[in-house]
Amino acid sequence: MTAFVLRINRFTLAFGVAMAVCAATSAKAEDAEYGVLMKTLANPFWGAMSQGVEAGAKGAGVKIFEQAAESDQAAEPQLNLCNTMLERKPAAMITAAINSTNLLPCLKVAQEAGVKIVDLDNNLDQAVLDKEGIKVTFHIGSDNNAAGAQGAEYLVSKLGKDAKGPVLVIEGLSGNITGEKRAKGFADKLKELAPGLEIVASLPGDWDRGKAASIATDTLTAHPDLVAIFCANDGMALGAVESVYAAGKGPQVTIIGVDGNSDAVKSIKEGRLNASVAQLPYLVGKQAVENVKKALAGEKVEDSIAVPTLVLTKEVIDAGKEPMLEYVK
Amino acid sequence: MASQTAQPGLWSRVQRASVERLHIRLESLLVLVALSAVMAVLSPYFLSLSNFLNILLATSTIGVLAIAATFVIGSGGLDLSLGSVMGLSGVAGAFVAVNLGWPWPLAVLACIIAGGIAGHINGQLVTRAFVPAFIVTLGMLGLARGLALVISQGRAIYGLPAEIVYLGQGRPFGVPMPVIIFVLTAIVAHCLLAYTRFGRHTLALGDSEGAARAAGIRVEHHRRIIYTLSGVLAGLAGLLFTARVNAGDPTAGINYELTAITAAIIGGTNLFGGRASILGTMIGALIMGVLQNGLTLLAVQSYYQQMAIGAVLILAVFIDQYQVRKEARV
Amino acid sequence: MTLLTLKGIRKSFGAVDVLHGVDLSIEAGEVIGLVGDNGAGKSTLMKTITGIYRADAGSIQLDGRDILPLDPGQRRRLGIEMIYQDLSLAKQQDVAANIFLGREPVKKWFGLIPGFVDKARMDREAAGMIERLGAHLPSINRSVGSFSGGQQQTVAIARALTFNPKLVIMDEPTAALAVREVQSVLDLIRRLRSEGISVILISHRLNDVLAVTDRIVVLRHGRAEANLTTAKTNMNEVVGRIVGGGDTSAAAAHEQRG
Repeated sequence: MTAFVLRINRFTLAFGVAMAVCAATSAKAEDAEYGVLMKTLANPFWGAMSQGVEAGAKGAGVKIFEQAAESDQAAEPQLNLCNTMLERKPAAMITAAINSTNLLPCLKVAQEAGVKIVDLDNNLDQAVLDKEGIKVTFHIGSDNNAAGAQGAEYLVSKLGKDAKGPVLVIEGLSGNITGEKRAKGFADKLKELAPGLEIVASLPGDWDRGKAASIATDTLTAHPDLVAIFCANDGMALGAVESVYAAGKGPQVTIIGVDGNSDAVKSIKEGRLNASVAQLPYLVGKQAVENVKKALAGEKVEDSIAVPTLVLTKEVIDAGKEPMLEYVK
Repeated sequence: MASQTAQPGLWSRVQRASVERLHIRLESLLVLVALSAVMAVLSPYFLSLSNFLNILLATSTIGVLAIAATFVIGSGGLDLSLGSVMGLSGVAGAFVAVNLGWPWPLAVLACIIAGGIAGHINGQLVTRAFVPAFIVTLGMLGLARGLALVISQGRAIYGLPAEIVYLGQGRPFGVPMPVIIFVLTAIVAHCLLAYTRFGRHTLALGDSEGAARAAGIRVEHHRRIIYTLSGVLAGLAGLLFTARVNAGDPTAGINYELTAITAAIIGGTNLFGGRASILGTMIGALIMGVLQNGLTLLAVQSYYQQMAIGAVLILAVFIDQYQVRKEARV
Repeated sequence: MTLLTLKGIRKSFGAVDVLHGVDLSIEAGEVIGLVGDNGAGKSTLMKTITGIYRADAGSIQLDGRDILPLDPGQRRRLGIEMIYQDLSLAKQQDVAANIFLGREPVKKWFGLIPGFVDKARMDREAAGMIERLGAHLPSINRSVGSFSGGQQQTVAIARALTFNPKLVIMDEPTAALAVREVQSVLDLIRRLRSEGISVILISHRLNDVLAVTDRIVVLRHGRAEANLTTAKTNMNEVVGRIVGGGDTSAAAAHEQRG
């Protein structure tokens, strides 16, 4: 019998101590709070979003608890996290779903429990939500269409309305809605502002730096007089920059990316990448929390909140006067 | 130690009974209970029926895969393709239901058959081509994942029939369907492994292939059945996944094989075969489930959760080895 | 009555010919010693009898029935058992699991679901068998890997005897045993003979072979070199046949001391 008691003690002790240490660092007062569920934190974009959420919560004086799936492909683990987070009975769930359906079962339960649902970074599809009978309080994120259009506006402001010449567009992963919107926003705006600039190719670069580099090289061979390349994200734009400079056409080709990540900012400062349409994930996160507070207080909040994007160029960065620059992380 | 054998104390007797009757080691059950108790004390949200069902629901897909891992590892094999085959099966089912528009029972069948075929190929290669299981299933990991991406063209296939979605999201009597399917599968699998000739031969095979052969067991044939069974279970897990998220996702189950193997090992399965029990594996999977759930409720960041699971794995095997060595000394 | 007849058994592994046409027959209740130098093909020959290896050519008959196409499990069911030198035990399984491996009795679970192994019956019969062998094991429910070498051999022997075998092949059963244990194995062989069970004993210990066998078959370079009646031969002759001619008295004297 003593052996029995002793044995139990050894196990409970070991685990008790381990858990208590874990918990002591994390236990918080648990009143009405906002649950924040990210895709992942292993990416600077989501890291900045998370900082924004925290800053927003601090500013608004609300409590949040934040979780993220281990990767942006862990659809089912994210659903499990969502279900578990509901057990804490949050007042709102701010979710960046990994795809447009994986969180739906959880969001349905949340809705039934009267939890306000926020679609962070526009990952949910309104048509699917309507079909499932889920009403989100608001969608919030950058307007990818507008980001593409801003890229076109920058290009036209640089080359002029009457400029002529071939232009290359490198899209994201084929079928990905974000990449499609950016490419389409760019193409539509360019046609409207400077019809002389002709898009000679629009190809999927699969968000891959190397693939974008080869596309740029091939297109330069076919169109040696290429004047501009628009890429649906910065990684691909940096790949294109390498190809263009390797071909000795740096000054001739204007290259534009989207995201405003730190590598892109560095390249812009060095005068290689011409511009990046910066998303402001920090601002998205901050405004998400602020607007949830408003909605919970009964104020009216727009169904879809578009957080502005900012065109980063060497001039803008060097001047440092643009107020939104502080949100570029 | 000698005195303990001469007059077994209460602990030893309970321990022995649990090993003989239920095929589980009491230590792992104790860890599960202790862990749950700690979580219940630390978080007021932990101890509720809905949270209990939550834990089971979160464990269901990985639990079915862990059953497959237990059979394969128990037989002295290894199946690294579990997660990929699960992804392939889910995509195959979604393809049949959505792209081909066939009736939903055929889609269910497609999941199971796709898994079974992949598993059977593993078994054929392991037993006939004399390629080590590690290599064969590592190859299948790539093959199945690639095929899933090809079939789905790299995109998740959405919009499954309501009947299939019910398998993942329905709640008869308030109990989630995946939990019902998972628990039933576990019970059948436990009986199969612990109480039938098939199960006993599986463990004997993992223990000593020579002994199994000498005993007249058709070793190669048996291995093929086990790998096929493993694939079928991965197919079932793929069905559950697809039904839960309402999409045939070609990236479903990435790294799940490692989690499944972890659950089996925490549950007392010998990594080199010969000792395994489904109940033990279920306890292992639940230890991980409780840990993840509790830490999430305590708002501990997910990175720490992964660290905690890694630590528990090492601790579990340490305790297990300690027990095994102690028994050998008696 | 002839129990087992081998004719012209050949077996090669790749380019290596191990058996070049072995003839051998054994009567019911007869004890044969199979001796020969290392690499003479003793173990290979025995494994072609149990079916672990399939002979390339030749015939094997048991009670006049051709058993060459049968797999190890089927031959075992016909009454051919072998106790391997390495014992071939599943060390993490308990005594009953090892004794009944491949032949577990089944019952219906609560009289309903078929196919459940009857563990209680296995334990009971295993305990009975161990008792009949006059051996003592610490516990019948422990994994056999925790037993001593002699105890493990008891389990291996029990496994071979539980299903009323007609022929028991023993591969070096005394090699790793203490003197007292050797005696009990030799006693066991005599008991089997008295019960009408045939035994093939493979051993390097010629004293043991001369002590318990009726006949001694010498295997040399993959052929049955000699077939000697134990009562009419002696150490010198056996050793001579094993090493093959020349002056063998020194080797024989060494064996005698051995």
